[in-house]
Amino acid sequence: MNAKVNFNQNMVAEHVTDQPVLQIRGLKVNYGEKSILQGIDLELTPDQPLAVIGESGAGKTTLGLSILGLSRGQVSGEIAFKNRDILALPLNELQKLRGREIAMVFQSMANALNPVLKVKDQVAEAAQVHKSFLPKKNMAQWVEDVLVSVELDRDKWSAFPHQLSGGAKQRALIAIAMVNSPDLLILDEPTALQDPLTTATIIRLLKKSIQGRSAIIITHDLSVAAQLSHWTAVLYEGRVIEYGRSRELLQKPRHPYTRGLIRSFPDMMRGKDLQGIPGRSEWLQDGCSFQPRCTQSISICKDRQPILQGDKRHLIACHRGGVIPLLECRNISTSFGSTKVLQDVSCILAEGETLALIGESGSGKTTLARTIMGLVHEDGGEILLEGKTVGKRDKNFYNRVQMICQNPMESINPGMNVLQAVGEPLAIQKIGRSADRDDQVRKVLNAAELPNNKIFLQSYPHHMSGGEAQRVAIARALALEPRLLIADEPTSALDPSVQEKIIRYLLNLQEKKGLALLFISHDIALARKVSDRMAVIRNGRIVETGQTSKIITHPRHPYTRALLEIAAAGSMCSMRLKS
Amino acid sequence: MHDNYKTLLKNNGMGRAGIGLILLVLLPALAAPLLSPYLPGEYSGSIFAPPSGSYWLGTNDVGQDIWTRLLYGARTSLLIGGGVALLATLTALVVGGSAALCGGLYDQVVMRFVDALLVLPAVLIAILASAYLVPGISLLIILLASLIWPQAARIFRARILSLKEEGYISAARTFGASETYLMVRHILPLLGPILSAVIVQHGRRAIFMEAGLSFLGVSDPTLISWGSMLQHALRYTYLDVWKWWMLPTGLLLSMTITGLALLGFALETISDPRLLPAGNR
Repeated sequence: MNAKVNFNQNMVAEHVTDQPVLQIRGLKVNYGEKSILQGIDLELTPDQPLAVIGESGAGKTTLGLSILGLSRGQVSGEIAFKNRDILALPLNELQKLRGREIAMVFQSMANALNPVLKVKDQVAEAAQVHKSFLPKKNMAQWVEDVLVSVELDRDKWSAFPHQLSGGAKQRALIAIAMVNSPDLLILDEPTALQDPLTTATIIRLLKKSIQGRSAIIITHDLSVAAQLSHWTAVLYEGRVIEYGRSRELLQKPRHPYTRGLIRSFPDMMRGKDLQGIPGRSEWLQDGCSFQPRCTQSISICKDRQPILQGDKRHLIACHRGGVIPLLECRNISTSFGSTKVLQDVSCILAEGETLALIGESGSGKTTLARTIMGLVHEDGGEILLEGKTVGKRDKNFYNRVQMICQNPMESINPGMNVLQAVGEPLAIQKIGRSADRDDQVRKVLNAAELPNNKIFLQSYPHHMSGGEAQRVAIARALALEPRLLIADEPTSALDPSVQEKIIRYLLNLQEKKGLALLFISHDIALARKVSDRMAVIRNGRIVETGQTSKIITHPRHPYTRALLEIAAAGSMCSMRLKS
Repeated sequence: MHDNYKTLLKNNGMGRAGIGLILLVLLPALAAPLLSPYLPGEYSGSIFAPPSGSYWLGTNDVGQDIWTRLLYGARTSLLIGGGVALLATLTALVVGGSAALCGGLYDQVVMRFVDALLVLPAVLIAILASAYLVPGISLLIILLASLIWPQAARIFRARILSLKEEGYISAARTFGASETYLMVRHILPLLGPILSAVIVQHGRRAIFMEAGLSFLGVSDPTLISWGSMLQHALRYTYLDVWKWWMLPTGLLLSMTITGLALLGFALETISDPRLLPAGNR
């Protein structure tokens, strides 16, 4: 224990400065024709670990290898380590640097250990390479200190690698990297293939190890990035597309790609199901590299590569400045006569996001929806769609914003059959020819889990059950393929199995097309599964708003707590059998 | 709910009786030239001839065939009834509908104007105007239509205002529908039953008013009309002619008006399900 403390103090004291240790400028790496890194600019200061995240093949490992001068491709640009350009250093200088000043914990731990050497000897070997670092007589003690500090059991010190568990191998590798007390530690997927308990201890260990030095953590495990790093850089097709404080970036990502990464990462506290990023990496040369997979791309995204820009704390490479706020309500007030129904309601709904509006009957949920749709006139406030103030709603507005009404039966003209009713939005917007419209009607009916045969198309509302009418209303709202869907209790009349299918369809649309959902419900259990953020409304005022996971786990307002308690009381998991 | 109005009308006793009575007048009027060899203005025989094989209801004071004049009189009545009904209903629909849809100041101004028209005594004005203008058929239609539309304008406005609040109207608005589209595609079809009821009632009032004006002798004297026939017949009550001159005319007029009234009631009942007897809902 004593040795461990000494060891750490030793490390900390030696290296802390505010000067950047590592500066990467315009780093490009090509493997033949294929360019893996396409101009990376990064800076690393001591004690402020940087996480590099991204999908496999984004160039994360290549970046780590390049810093060690180990990349096998054609490398250009500048990697300045303590004011020395690594790319220009002669090989012997580079060798002095490797392991001694810059150490890397490699991704494939099975290959990184020598199978015929005992662990203790391998750690000692790494130290002996840089003889000048320690006098020989202290060597044995030093190696032991390091092994203690990585919490490797004493009985495994003399074991061969194949006798070790994954966790122990990882500890051995960390010991090898740490033995020369490097200034810069590069950790490539340090917890891959580990079980959660081992991961937790390794992370604790790594936290301790990187204290007081510079570190780069290359990982696709976002929780590792969140726990170990101060800064995070998101790498996509060899470019940094977002960079910022880890906490901020991982909680409020701005780039659609980062948001997709976070959404596809299984977070313990999140209620919403996993959502991915549509398509796959294509390595196109023109325009923004993420454009083919982006749901909010515009023409400029196809033509020009965006530059990484922003304030120093948060940089982003996106022509649209990241995920755009699709709908913004600013201080909306609405009243019916002298009754104030909405008072100073403000909310923001981003592209591809679900905002759940939660509250009891009469709290103003539907009125807010109808105000946004222009069916109720607001007394004050402002509504913005894609950043532009919405005045009188015109066809163009309704083409982008659609609503599923609360009372489906009443929202369908009793004199119209299904084909006419669902096709009506298309007819009004004069989209396509009659036959195209009918095709679209069949498509959306299918999406809403309804039959699309002739008999059903010819049936009238009074032939339908409540659930069928609701699905017709859903199909109709989807017919125009809106960007924003206001869903007012959209599944209140549906049985759970159909509800699940429809919710999943909507979330799929969100993933693939970037549909934004304003989900109005009094069912918190459902809203939790659908929404990214939640707004709790009471008596026409929003009393609490924030990330759904936070509101569910840490409600601040007593009203939210009351709603949650009631919802939890209905949980089947909490039911107890009476003896 | 989506009701089948035809079936409902068929199942309604008053409606069936009304349609029967109207057909009883309408079909002979249409087939007039086939049912009579004479023309209504033709002096076809001796005066005051009693009913016979060649003059089914005899002749009048100038020797015209009364049966022929009855048939052609039905044409006049029905033409005026139909014309006024259409014109008045259309006016009412345009005025009431636009007031309901546009709302605001326009609604206020127009409806106050309608209120002003409503308090005017229609019959009195009709008499005065006719006395001055001595109207022919088309002028008479315009005159009567302009007097009887205001009431219906109120009805239409009220109905459209309530329809406007229906969920499917707001739904159509959220697809970007214009006011014209809403009117043509949603409101008019649903206005159907009440529209037909109003048309029938307008027709009934118009026929009655025309007969009244003619009876008072303030319309065009060349108009072949049941009203003027009644008036002429009344001059000769000391003779036996009233039996086949006045009675059939009065009867036919009553039949037409009763038929239209019955049909009107039936249509009103159907358009407002609250008026249906419990069993028929």
